[in-house]
Amino acid sequence: MKIVSCFSRLSEIEPLAAAGADELYCAVADLPSFGYGVLKGGGLKAAARKAHALGKKLSLAVNSMRITYAAGQMKTFAARLERAAADGVDSFIVASPSVFELFSRLKRPLPGPVHLSSVQPCLNSLTARYFIRLGISRLILPSQVAPLECAEIFRECRAARVETEVFDYRFFGCVYVNGRCNLHDPVFHTFREGAGQPALCRCAAGKGPSVKPVGIAPGSGPEALRLTRRLYARMTCSGPPRLNNAAAFFDFFTMGTNYLKYGTRADTPEVKVRKVKELRAMLDLAEGLSRDLPRSGARAAFIDRMTRWRGLEGGNP
Amino acid sequence: MIERGLKVGGLTPAQMRAGGSLDEALGKFERFYVGAEFCENLLPGAEELKRTAGFFLGKGKKVSVVTPPLTERGLKNLRRVFKALRPLACQELELTVNDFGALELARELGLDLKVSAGRLMYENLFRIRASVFQVVNSYALHFFTARGVNRFEVSAVGARQLTNFGKAAALGFSLSEFSLTLYYPYLNLSSTRTCLLGTPEIGPQDSVTGIDCRRECRTASFEVAYPDVKEKLLVRGNTVFLHFPGKLYPAEKSLAARRVDRLVYCPLP
Repeated sequence: MKIVSCFSRLSEIEPLAAAGADELYCAVADLPSFGYGVLKGGGLKAAARKAHALGKKLSLAVNSMRITYAAGQMKTFAARLERAAADGVDSFIVASPSVFELFSRLKRPLPGPVHLSSVQPCLNSLTARYFIRLGISRLILPSQVAPLECAEIFRECRAARVETEVFDYRFFGCVYVNGRCNLHDPVFHTFREGAGQPALCRCAAGKGPSVKPVGIAPGSGPEALRLTRRLYARMTCSGPPRLNNAAAFFDFFTMGTNYLKYGTRADTPEVKVRKVKELRAMLDLAEGLSRDLPRSGARAAFIDRMTRWRGLEGGNP
Repeated sequence: MIERGLKVGGLTPAQMRAGGSLDEALGKFERFYVGAEFCENLLPGAEELKRTAGFFLGKGKKVSVVTPPLTERGLKNLRRVFKALRPLACQELELTVNDFGALELARELGLDLKVSAGRLMYENLFRIRASVFQVVNSYALHFFTARGVNRFEVSAVGARQLTNFGKAAALGFSLSEFSLTLYYPYLNLSSTRTCLLGTPEIGPQDSVTGIDCRRECRTASFEVAYPDVKEKLLVRGNTVFLHFPGKLYPAEKSLAARRVDRLVYCPLP
């Protein structure tokens, strides 16, 4: 398993590589991507040169679902992607089907290898097949699918020589379907004047709601009360349960997932480096335990060590 | 001419009859939406769904079978459903998908049904806000239309939403290429696989094989009111909704101009 790290400043490339990143990716201001944090301190050409000098590949995130361009602008967009490839970008992270359609209608090959973004959620092997047919070379799994649900997806990908990638469970993992969440920004709901505008999907973002059942099914009063308490906890501090955890990571690891991603582009340079080091430490632990112990023992030891680990300040896990 | 539909979900005609709503529904609606929209655990069994679809078709009604986002487990069930539906294939029977895997499965099985893209798919080609409704680009639309999908299902097409439909030609598409289905009165804001109501807590040692709930969502919907948010949210199962106010409904006559030719009433979120 290799580590893919985001970066948003040219000066971050070297420290991230030294921290253990095997591949790098970024977004740029003039191309539509999902999330925050675009490349500063230089262009793609300089970034590619720097990454390649360190033996690292560079991907470019163009994974917005909302590529709001007129027909002529779409052609310019295609040319811009081709220019990025010429500048040294090794692959493109894509979510919108319009990108596949664009190059197909232009009768031009995709500008480079395409990684299907988790913003286009693939939860089953037939969705994987659908996008493999469109030409993807890597599938980035969303956090809403557990490893034991992915055996067929992996089979499909291996048969087509398509790589697989997962997010680090500690540093990413919105529990709502990624890229389709209208609780994150006030797209439809509105805040009262003077209120902050927290993302309601985030843990502790929406404190103090009242929760009450409506339209209770006959005879379900006690169950409704129990669910009210559960929902209150989940809408305030705990959030819906997360599928991805230490056990899930270890299972993805033993299933042969190719890449582990850290992707919070808006983090500071220091935080990025620390997180990549923590990815590396976790991966080293999984590799070491797998080498030294039978699978079940390695899995249990890994979960135990990761559950107790509080970060690099206290040493390795 | 606006077609009127009713979202029945997983209810059977017998359950509707027992609840006293069947006759009124048959009198009022031309199309019945059966199946499950947001959660694969709620997808009825193949034979049950076939019986329900067959019942409404037999009453001279149209039917849309709605399918949810799918994991491998859901895909397995859906394969049985599609096989069961095959003998019923006719113009009056349609399919709504909320997952590219369902589209692929329908193609693989050669299911000869008109396919629509459901409410969890619209982000692929529309940008929808409280005041905006736009086709993001012509290639996104043509990705679907080239694959035979011309109907898109949405919520919240409001009278005051700015569309880019007037610039369709300049943007590279034609309005005749697509139609919209408008679900009302609940707008789905966000969905999760780990159901807010049904999923048990997951410990660090648990690697789950699926969402094993007890169908807690059937107990009730839940109104969630944040002090700082003007609207009340509604949670049902794995999805958070907004019960959108009347001001968002354009008059029926203006719906056609917005490409809406089908309305689907949802009694529950």
